[in-house]
Amino acid sequence: MGDEFESDTVVASGNQDELIMQQQRQIEREISESTALVGDLEPIASLNNEYSNDVVYLEKIKDLASKYKYMRRTRPDGNCFFRAFTYAKLERLLDNKIDFANFYKIVEGSKHALVELGFPQFTVEDFYDTFIDVLKRLGDIKTATDAKKELHTLFNEQGYSDYMVVYLRLLTSGQLQRDQDFYSCFIEGERTVADFCHQEVEPMYKESDHIHIMAACAAMNTGVRVVYMDRGTSKINIEHDLPEGTQPSVHLLYRPGHYDILYL
Amino acid sequence: MAGSALRRLMAEYKQLTLNPPEGIIAGPINEENFFEWEALITGPEGTCFEGGVFPAKLIFPPDYPLSPPKMQFTCEMFHPNIYADGRVCISILHAPGDDPMGYESSAERWSPVQSVEKILLSVVSMLAEPNDESGANVDAAKMWRENRDEFNKIAERIVRRTLGIPT
Repeated sequence: MGDEFESDTVVASGNQDELIMQQQRQIEREISESTALVGDLEPIASLNNEYSNDVVYLEKIKDLASKYKYMRRTRPDGNCFFRAFTYAKLERLLDNKIDFANFYKIVEGSKHALVELGFPQFTVEDFYDTFIDVLKRLGDIKTATDAKKELHTLFNEQGYSDYMVVYLRLLTSGQLQRDQDFYSCFIEGERTVADFCHQEVEPMYKESDHIHIMAACAAMNTGVRVVYMDRGTSKINIEHDLPEGTQPSVHLLYRPGHYDILYL
Repeated sequence: MAGSALRRLMAEYKQLTLNPPEGIIAGPINEENFFEWEALITGPEGTCFEGGVFPAKLIFPPDYPLSPPKMQFTCEMFHPNIYADGRVCISILHAPGDDPMGYESSAERWSPVQSVEKILLSVVSMLAEPNDESGANVDAAKMWRENRDEFNKIAERIVRRTLGIPT
């Protein structure tokens, strides 16, 4: 009888953990779903509302507004860097047919490269197909204005948007593993680059660090400028170009734990 | 979204049918519903579960493979990493960060490039080598550690039951 009681409590406590986790997830989801996956253009000053009593931030918003006209918010669900980066990159490409065609070629060759690295074909395929499908749909639209509208629509459809995120995660993982000699020195602890990719890059909702950004830039052949806005006492936001010395084509605003898109 | 999940599950089913891993059969219970699968796993050779054929159910979420499925044995089981109700508790069924069991940080986690096959292979390894650090069934974990003979006896009884042999 004693044994039975014990095993019952064990089951209950196991379920308890899972219930707590589920509830946590639910709360996170509710918060994050109140923001669109990718929002509309907003003036930089729209940030003032979030920091109305915060002198440090208000100064920094002023600085930001002197350099950038608009921002576009992304949903804070752990995928924000990947979503913001892909969206901003594609949006930029729509202004230049030649760049767009070159980018299409890079993506076209990328599935084969991932399979060669050991990713099982049938797990990569759907994400690749979605990415290519989105590029084709955008490429077929005559004017940049209409193509950008379509981009916005597709990136706010969870199915498309999340599959684009997954594929960029896979490209980033591929880049890290291909250049593992270089990236291994940025990984703390005993983990191998492959372990790091399986745990921190490939799973959805895992947040991005410097190393993700470097590899994503390399994979997409793109320079990005990240503007860091935090509680540091300087009145100016620190800017960081990745890879160093390149002309950035994507601009992102980083506030602790979150990335949004910036527009000059 | 469910469209993509369905396409992926069909691809995985095909893959598993064409190249079945040794000792594992898996597929939808009913081809009308690809989100519920049954798997049959044979106990790994040279272990106390050798010879058993263990049925389990896999339930896939609508956003599969972004999120992992849930897996539950439908036969009697006694194992450190299986709850008394049959639910399987191994790291690959969780995304990183979800840590009810405090898995090792190096343990394999769910991501969209994992697959049903990888899960089932992990379950076979789990049967062969229980992880008594993350006890879903504390009694089983304790017995595995402290009284292996008794554990083996219970395992043998379970094996016979799965084969329909009187115990």
